[in-house]
Amino acid sequence: MNEQAKTQTSDGPRQNFRWSRAVAVGKKEMFHILRDPYTLALALGLPLLMVTVYGLAIDFNVKNIHLAVDDQDQTQTSRRLVDTFSSSGYFIVEKAYDPGNVLSLIASEVARAGLIIPPHFQTDILAGRGAEAQVLLDGADSSTVGAVTGYMGAMQTMTSSRLAAFNPPQIYEMRTRFLFNPELNSRWFVIPGLMVVVMAILSILLTSLTVAREWENGSMELLLSTPVQPIEIIIGKIAPYGILCLSAVSVVFFVARFFFGVPFVGNIFVFILGSVIFLMTYLAQGVLISVLTRNQQVAMQLSMLTGFLPSQLLSGFIFPIASMPVFFRYFTMIFPARWFMQISRDTFLKGSNITELAGAFFALTVICVLMVRTATRKFGRDLE
Amino acid sequence: MINQTLWGFIKKELWQSLRDPRMKFLLFVMPIVQMTLFGVAISSDVKNIKLAAIFDSKDIVMRDAYERAVSGGWFIPANTHGEQDPFKMIQSGAADAVLIAPPEGLTHSIPRGDAKVQLLADATNVLQGQAVENYLRNIIQSTMMDDLHLTAPVSPIQLDLRVLYNPSLETSIFMVPGVMCMLMVLTTMMLSMVAIVREKEAGTFEALVSAPVSKSEVIFGKTIPYVIIGMSNFPIVLAVAVFGFKVPMRGSLLVLFLAAFVFICTCVAMGTLISTFCKNQQQSGLASFLFMFPAIMFSGLMFPLENMPTVLRWVAFFDPLAHFMGLLRNIMLKGGGVQYVATHIGILALMTTVLVMFSFRRFHTNLT
Repeated sequence: MNEQAKTQTSDGPRQNFRWSRAVAVGKKEMFHILRDPYTLALALGLPLLMVTVYGLAIDFNVKNIHLAVDDQDQTQTSRRLVDTFSSSGYFIVEKAYDPGNVLSLIASEVARAGLIIPPHFQTDILAGRGAEAQVLLDGADSSTVGAVTGYMGAMQTMTSSRLAAFNPPQIYEMRTRFLFNPELNSRWFVIPGLMVVVMAILSILLTSLTVAREWENGSMELLLSTPVQPIEIIIGKIAPYGILCLSAVSVVFFVARFFFGVPFVGNIFVFILGSVIFLMTYLAQGVLISVLTRNQQVAMQLSMLTGFLPSQLLSGFIFPIASMPVFFRYFTMIFPARWFMQISRDTFLKGSNITELAGAFFALTVICVLMVRTATRKFGRDLE
Repeated sequence: MINQTLWGFIKKELWQSLRDPRMKFLLFVMPIVQMTLFGVAISSDVKNIKLAAIFDSKDIVMRDAYERAVSGGWFIPANTHGEQDPFKMIQSGAADAVLIAPPEGLTHSIPRGDAKVQLLADATNVLQGQAVENYLRNIIQSTMMDDLHLTAPVSPIQLDLRVLYNPSLETSIFMVPGVMCMLMVLTTMMLSMVAIVREKEAGTFEALVSAPVSKSEVIFGKTIPYVIIGMSNFPIVLAVAVFGFKVPMRGSLLVLFLAAFVFICTCVAMGTLISTFCKNQQQSGLASFLFMFPAIMFSGLMFPLENMPTVLRWVAFFDPLAHFMGLLRNIMLKGGGVQYVATHIGILALMTTVLVMFSFRRFHTNLT
């Protein structure tokens, strides 16, 4: 089958690849983009807007959790307990009048957590019996549960120390050095990943739609009857979008570096090389989608499903790959975004060199070659 | 309201969208695949962290702590390929965290009272960095207690923590409502948007306008079909959530469908409004991305909304996904408080109305 396809194309009258024709198609596409300032503005402005908004918004450290407090003890000690919670900076105290009220405040999303202090709280502590207070946590909200559970250990130590002068000797000391992001800045983690997601979606969406449009309005058939070869059409059509995406990436890169102060300790050429291979893969995927669908509505759905969602959810952008079930740890390997996510983060923060990233580069290149081959072959065959 | 013309419109639009078998596949099979895929795969848990430890083989306490860490499920032993430098181990990605025992050994340093363990953690992933420190601190503490037969002094104040609605911290229960929300917005908004922009691009929209149909017939004829498609999609997604992932359904099914209906209307109206600004599909693709990406980020699925700057919390207030996500969680997991549900359905309904009004006006100015 493959052999047949090859001989057919090489026997055809237009077997010579000419750059001039590819450039001509590219020029036309370039004019097309430039003539439409709206698309251009969206393609460049959108990444800029996103990196700014996320840079300002993202913080995984949960603060200001509304805590519904039912203090049944109403003593000095119980008030100091409440005080310790509110002065920790994590919680904002809301008054509740009975345990049922605490539950209903959580059920109606007014509070994320509840604290119920039983009567005799102070008496128990003074008698040295040990006292217990109940903390309720809204398990419907995934983004706070983990963090608040983590705070509880610290809160217990802090309240015991303040209210009961309980300071057990530390039997050991742990000195932690957080490498590559010593202040645990959420932005440093998110923005290099955001670049990947932005690139993925721009490249795949722009190409799949532009080629699908040519099929839809029949101008692809017209292009076929000219002496332009399929490969020349592909190169000509996607190169301008490649340039557009690269400019978008540069914009994001500069904002990340100079506005948000995200460090870049690696080699810029390693990063650029990764970007180029990654973009080629997604541009080819865009072409493949458009050839397969030839319909913009389907093409857009497919781009979203195969480009947007995986690059956001299965690439390790926010949800770590190592925590996924075994099958997914292997399955995610087929997504170029996973590999480029690693390259982007490691060059930004760790300063990894190309040998340390050899695995990721190898995988990315293999996917890229496969994707480009499939796309060009499918494209060429459909034209016969 | 449903007259002959409108009915004809709806039928034509439904048929046009559904005649493509690939579209049928994308609409009715893909959601199941995706729900399964994302529902199983994504979680914000931190697991399988590659841990290395540098210690002397005679250091019993340290060895116990390391063994306890890697058998507990959070950590896996790192394969360091004989690398000795802890920094290099982490930089090359061979390890995510390295524990370093004191030079004379942890076992020997405990009686002298200056036991210091050093931890190097890869903080590229902030959440993982923090989790690693927390986990290891507790593991080492309890190992030392057990090995030295110490009993931990009991803290006089015990905070008894109970997680409501999801006591076993089942990840799928956290994540599946979020995935449902995303899939619903993807199909409904995109479809309605693409449908209008396609007509604009092909020039058939002008023909439609010059035909003897009213503006509202055009708008409703172009939107109602996608509300219908969305509503037929929702039970599929819900069934996967409830039967596949065992997400509890504590509230009223009727209320949930009402919430879904209003949300779908909001999405379709949003799609329609965006389409009035777009001349071609490329623009609409970018514009929908411009809406979708922040909408997902601000929905509360990925990071907490509580501590965003006030301005951005207002932005999140205008995110229909945030409201629907809240509604899904509230109705499914908490049984649906009347006031909360009414408020948020009300907000969504208000958004829909405003969006539809805007679309009407945009259509008007577009056409004259």
